[in-house]
Amino acid sequence: MNNAAHEFLRSAAEKSADLTHRQIIRRGIDSYNTANERGRSRFLDWEAARLRCQEIKWEAVNSLDRYLLEFEQRVKDRGGHVFWAENSAEARKYITDLATARGVRKIVKSKSMVSEEIHLGPALEKLGIKVVETDLGEYIVQLREETPYHIVTPAMHLNRTQIAALFKEKLGDVDTDDPQQLVAAARRALRRDFFSAEMGISGANFLVADAGMIALTTNEGNGRLCTSVPPIHVVLSGIEKVIPRLQDLATLWPVLATAGTGQPITCYSTLAGGPRQPNEMDGPEEFHVVLVDNGRSELLANVEEREVLHCIRCGACINACPVFRTVGGHSYGTTYMGPIGSVLTPRLRGLNEFQHLSYASSLCGACSDVCPVKINLHHHLLHNRRDAVDASDRPWSERMGFAVWRWAVGDARRFRAVGWLARLGMRVMQRLHLDGTLLDPARPWNRNHATAPAPAKSFRALWGNQNGNN
Amino acid sequence: MATTETQIENPGRARILERLRTALRETTPRPPGAEGRKIFAPVTDVLARFQQECAANITECIVTQDLRSSARAVADVLASLPPGEIFVQDSPALRRLAPEWQTARSIQWSSEGGPKESAQATITTAEALVALTGSVLVSASCGGRGASVVAPVHIVVATADQLVPDLEAAFALMRERNTAFQNSYVCLITGSSRTADIEKILVMGAHGPIRLIVLLAMRPE
Repeated sequence: MNNAAHEFLRSAAEKSADLTHRQIIRRGIDSYNTANERGRSRFLDWEAARLRCQEIKWEAVNSLDRYLLEFEQRVKDRGGHVFWAENSAEARKYITDLATARGVRKIVKSKSMVSEEIHLGPALEKLGIKVVETDLGEYIVQLREETPYHIVTPAMHLNRTQIAALFKEKLGDVDTDDPQQLVAAARRALRRDFFSAEMGISGANFLVADAGMIALTTNEGNGRLCTSVPPIHVVLSGIEKVIPRLQDLATLWPVLATAGTGQPITCYSTLAGGPRQPNEMDGPEEFHVVLVDNGRSELLANVEEREVLHCIRCGACINACPVFRTVGGHSYGTTYMGPIGSVLTPRLRGLNEFQHLSYASSLCGACSDVCPVKINLHHHLLHNRRDAVDASDRPWSERMGFAVWRWAVGDARRFRAVGWLARLGMRVMQRLHLDGTLLDPARPWNRNHATAPAPAKSFRALWGNQNGNN
Repeated sequence: MATTETQIENPGRARILERLRTALRETTPRPPGAEGRKIFAPVTDVLARFQQECAANITECIVTQDLRSSARAVADVLASLPPGEIFVQDSPALRRLAPEWQTARSIQWSSEGGPKESAQATITTAEALVALTGSVLVSASCGGRGASVVAPVHIVVATADQLVPDLEAAFALMRERNTAFQNSYVCLITGSSRTADIEKILVMGAHGPIRLIVLLAMRPE
C-alpha cells in the first residue's frame, strides 16, 4: 500500500472514532440539508433546472476549444491578458513572475480551489510575498495552517470555541466566542489587507464566453474587494469552467447557490472582464486570467469520463456522502474531497497512487442523486476502480480471492461446496473465539464489527425449504 | 502600463488547444435538456415579489411615491448614521436630488475617484431590479466597482419601472443595452454582505455593506 492510501486509512480510522468531530460535522450538514431542501422548493421544477445545467455544461465542454478562444478574445478586447498553463508549475511561474516584476509585497485572495491544486500560496510565500486568504472560512484555516476541510465551507470542522481561541492567539484584539464579534474582528483585520495589497487573486465559478467575463460568487463581499481594490487582478481557473452565454447564468447562478448553500442566489454574483476601462472611475489597472489545464484535457479525451468536467464545484455531493461525514474532509489528503474528489483526484494525479479513493464510497449513489449537473458520480468511481485494477498490481490475496470466487461461481456444485466450507470455517473461528484475530481471513471486516452467528444452512437450502412449505 | 508591454511567451496555449481539438474528435451524445419545462414559476406581480424577496434576504426596501420622497428617505437614513462623509454616484438624477437630502456631511462624487474606506454610506443608482430574487443589478457605470461594496451602508435610488420579473429578463435587458461590453464589471447584489462560516450561523456584514437599502420610487421623476 502506498503512503497516500496508508495515511488515508489511518486518518479515516481516527476521525471515525472522534465523537466531537462527528458532532460538529453532523450539525453542519444538518443545517445545510434544511436550507437546501427549502432552496429546492423555490424552484417550480428542480429536475428541469438540473437538466438545463447539464445541457449547458455539456455544450461548453464539448466545444471547449471554441468557447475558450471566444472568452480569450473578448478579454483581450478590454485590455486583459490570458495565459494558458499546461500544468501547475507553469501557472505558478506566471503568477510569481508577474508578482515579482510588479514588486508585489502583499496579495489578497478570494477562494480558489485551483490555487490549492497548484500549491500557489507556498510558492509566493517563498518569495517573501504575504498571501492573505479573505474568505472567512479560508482565513480561519490559513491561520491554523491547514488546508480547506470542504470546498464550500473550509472551516466546517471547527466550532466557535476553537475559532475564538485561534483569533485570540493570532489577532489579539478579540476575546469572545460570539460569531458576530468574531466576524467583526476578521473584518477589521482584513480591511487593512484589502487596502494595502498590490494584487488580488480570485478563482472563477464560470468563464462566460460571449461576454468575456468571469463570474464570481461570494456572500461576504471579499471576492468583490479582491477584484476591485488592488491595482492588479489575477484570475485562476480551470479550463473546464467556461460556459457559452451570459443568459446561461439565469439558471446556473440560482442552481449553484441552492446546491452549494441552499440560498436562492448568492449575495454577490459578480462579473468582471478586464482592467478599469477609460470611462470607469475605479478598478484594477491590470487584469490577467490564468487558464489551467493540469490533466483536464486528458479527462476530456476520455469519452467515458468526460462529463466529470461538468462539475461546478458546489459541494452538494460532499455533503451527501456518508463516507465524507464519517472520515472528514482532511482524511482524503487531497484538494478536492468527497465523491467528486475521489473521482477527480485519481484522474488528475495518478490512478495508481490515488486508487484507494475510488473505494472510499459505499456506492449508495447519493452523490449522483444530488449533483446539480447530473454527473453520474458513483459510476465514475466504479470506472476508476476498474481502470486502476487493470493498470496496477493488486495484492496477491485480493487476486487469489477473486480467482477462487470466479472458479466457485462458475458451477453450482462448486458454489455449494465453497459455501459449505466457508460456513464451516466461520463456525470453527467462532467456536475458538478467533474471529477478528490475525488468524481470521475475514479480519479486515471482523476486527471492527460484532460477528453475526454462522448460519446453519445455506441460502439455497433455506430457499428450498421455504418454497417447499408454500 | 501592462497593455503596452511585450507579449509573454505562451507555447502551452497551442499545445492545450491541440489536445482539446484531438480529444473532441470523439463526441458524446447530447443530454436531453429541459426542453419546454419551466424551471421557475413565472413572476406575476413584480413589485409584490420584489418586496417579499427583499424581506427574506434582508434588504431594506422602502417604497416611495416619487424621487423627491426618496430623497427625504435618504435624509432620514443619513441622519441615523455616525458622522463621516458619504460617496455618491455622479449621475444627473442624483445631482438633482442631492440638495433635497439637506445633509451637512461632505459628499464625494464618483467623478472625483473611488470611495474612501472611511465613507459612511454610498448612494448609487441601479441598472435594474430583479423581482424573482429581490436583487439589485449594478454595473461599473453605477458609481464604479467600489461604490456598492466599500461602505457599511449602500443606498440604491431606483424606480419601479426598473423592475424586471426574473434573471432571464435581466440578462435580456443587459444584452439590449450592451451592458457587458460597456462595463468591465457587473454585479447582481442580493441582500447585504453575510457569512455562515462559523458553525453555519448567519452573521451580517462580513466584508461588504451591513445594510442594503433600496428606495423604490413608484413614479420615475
